[in-house]
Amino acid sequence: MSQVKLSLQNALLTLEQLQQTPSREDGITEEQEDHLRQLGCHLIQHAGILLKLPQVAMATGQILFQRFFYQASLRKFAVRDISMGSVFLAAKVEECPIRFLDLVNVFDHLIKKFHRLPLDPMPAYQQTFYTLKDATVVAEMQILKKLSFNVHVQTPYAIMINYLKVLELMDHPIIPQLAWSYLNDGLRTSIYICYQPPTIACSVIWLAAMKENVALPTSPAWWEVLDAKLEDIENIAGHITSLYHRPLPISTLPFTIEQVEPYLRGELNKNASNGSPAAAATGSLSSTSIKGTRVSRFS
Amino acid sequence: MPRDPDTLREGPRPPSVDDNMTPVYSQEPEDQETYRHRSQTPVDTYREQAGEAAPEYHIEVPETEQHPVLTQCRSVENYEKLNRISEGTYGVVYRARDRITGEIVALKKLKLDQEKNGFPITSLREIYTLLLAKHPHIVNVREIVVGDTLTQIFIVMDFIEHDLKELMSGMRSPFLQSEVKTLMLQLLSATELLHENWILHRDLKTSNLLLNNKGEIKVADFGLARRYGEPQGVLTQPVVTLWYRSPELLLGAKQYTTAVDIWSIGCIFAEFVNNEPLLPARSEAEQLEKIFKLLGMPNDKIWPGFSKLPLASHVPNFVQPYNLLRSRLPYLTENGLDLMSKMLTYDPTRRITAEDALKHPYFSEAPPPKHPSMFPTWPSKGEKTAKKNASPSAPQAVHGHGQDEEEAGGLFNFANQESTGFRLKV
Ligand SMILES: Nc1ncnc2c1ncn2[C@@H]1O[C@H](COP(=O)(O)OP(=O)(O)O)[C@@H](O)[C@H]1O
Ligand SMILES: [Mg+2]
Repeated sequence: MSQVKLSLQNALLTLEQLQQTPSREDGITEEQEDHLRQLGCHLIQHAGILLKLPQVAMATGQILFQRFFYQASLRKFAVRDISMGSVFLAAKVEECPIRFLDLVNVFDHLIKKFHRLPLDPMPAYQQTFYTLKDATVVAEMQILKKLSFNVHVQTPYAIMINYLKVLELMDHPIIPQLAWSYLNDGLRTSIYICYQPPTIACSVIWLAAMKENVALPTSPAWWEVLDAKLEDIENIAGHITSLYHRPLPISTLPFTIEQVEPYLRGELNKNASNGSPAAAATGSLSSTSIKGTRVSRFS
Repeated sequence: MPRDPDTLREGPRPPSVDDNMTPVYSQEPEDQETYRHRSQTPVDTYREQAGEAAPEYHIEVPETEQHPVLTQCRSVENYEKLNRISEGTYGVVYRARDRITGEIVALKKLKLDQEKNGFPITSLREIYTLLLAKHPHIVNVREIVVGDTLTQIFIVMDFIEHDLKELMSGMRSPFLQSEVKTLMLQLLSATELLHENWILHRDLKTSNLLLNNKGEIKVADFGLARRYGEPQGVLTQPVVTLWYRSPELLLGAKQYTTAVDIWSIGCIFAEFVNNEPLLPARSEAEQLEKIFKLLGMPNDKIWPGFSKLPLASHVPNFVQPYNLLRSRLPYLTENGLDLMSKMLTYDPTRRITAEDALKHPYFSEAPPPKHPSMFPTWPSKGEKTAKKNASPSAPQAVHGHGQDEEEAGGLFNFANQESTGFRLKV
């Protein structure tokens, strides 16, 4: 064994970075920022599903997206562009690169769907294609620059499965998939920016076991054996569960830079949100399955 | 011409977006009011159980001191370029000075023009391997800096006085055995770290091994590095500069392992001992011929599966059954020869690992490895003029710049006509 290990830890944020984000400094409210972050993650997760990417790549993409907006303002960079750049880059990082054409098609479709526009297929190689493609190239580069090329993301999926095995919960009919879903939902929060993956893995298991009324070893407490603090576990669980109390008014949120200012003035797609049909958000982020998903040993 | 699957590989492609939409959304979009994530229920149950109110959305930040913190790339203007060290096929390396600290560094400029797929995946691998792999014998990357345009990206590394190719070409006599042991131990320990972490270097050769004036090797040039072990289909081919390329790669193996790096290290070992390359061929066919002449013709007995390799049937049955390694290394001890034979073992599954090689008796027999601080010093070429990269280049396609028309071993094409040896009947 060599003495020196690879440094695989995720970049975490300082308190200042977390509280005073560039968007907040740019006059965007906490709630607006939360919505736009959730929107980007929502897009990335759904695009990943359509592109048949492994969940680990979607997770990497969402974490990159979240990190990016601690370095840049949502007034200057569009959710659409940065989420496309994040998916494109994450797919490379996770060794499952995708083609521009597929990426652009999927995003064009999702954006229309989320804004409740007619779902005409995008004409092949028309202006939209080139606009979105160029935006992706620029966004990818911007992400790399703003994150100092620190795009290696450690995700908790494989760790969580190991912990489930240790706790002999893998055969439980509900807990594995439920905990997995919590991991996915948690991508929309700041937990991946604040905590290292093993702690997050403990927290989702704790939450799932709580829900399923499954008692886990208490003396010593199982999480202590896995080197996590109860305080962190509860905090992470709080972040995840608070998501379910914050509806996301998707159809009123801006995808492009042109839509941002009207949105901030409360004028974007007003009718869509108040009139009929009701503005919609699609289903859970947790819709990927634990089964058949590649769990990378690097995740 | 084998093409690089990395740059050309077609991503998973939804047949058509609309076909796909239905199965993905198991539930139709809900109204805003009723919108909830699917995993909502447990929380409420949990709250009921715990008898608590809805959790507050608050952020508590754990200690972050020990973790890297997000920062942006700085500008290349923080460095003053002094001179070009090398102009390889894939990028230029400069010697430069940090304008604030005055420290001398090396800047490697990535070639990013004509990118068809955004930022090249190969450069991405190079950078993140370097950022991750911190080891006393892996070149230290300080940061990545950017120029004025989006295509100017530089890797800032500690400046290392020599690369071993350039250094050895100027040496009148080979390294001493005590020095060879030190260099090999350093190279193997860096490789062990990489392999333990499922990283293949895939381009180990003397010009990618830097040596400072304290007798320390720094493995560099991760331009072909790749994680492996994931179910990720067929790995790229070809990799590894011809002279250091293992027989399984030459014979078209589709899957390969850390053993390809060990073969390269075996070739480097012999080069340290003799001060000349072990197997300098000009074409893939000649390369195989040289290997077979040196080590004897392999067969299914010593290398199970050999005859099933894609190109094995094209190899004429060669009448040289003997291992002649000893004759090329007359002065090496039995232990030294044993280690080298284990590195140059045909069957990749039986080739020695870096971990085991480090424990080989060769390193504990006399003479002991020389302490690095006792190494002689040589004037650094980096402080003088730029050199054109005259050594064979790594296969071009694999560097992934979208220019695949040129034969990977373009430099050696002429050899296909000249070689007097057998040719692959491909
Ligand atoms: N950190 C460094 N300090 C000094 N010289 C270096 C450094 N990195 C590279 N070089 C020189 O530049 C050459 C090319 O660098 P390398 O990273 O191998 O790029 P390439 O992909 O073009 O082969 C090396 O062979 C070495 O001579
Ligand atoms: Mg090189």
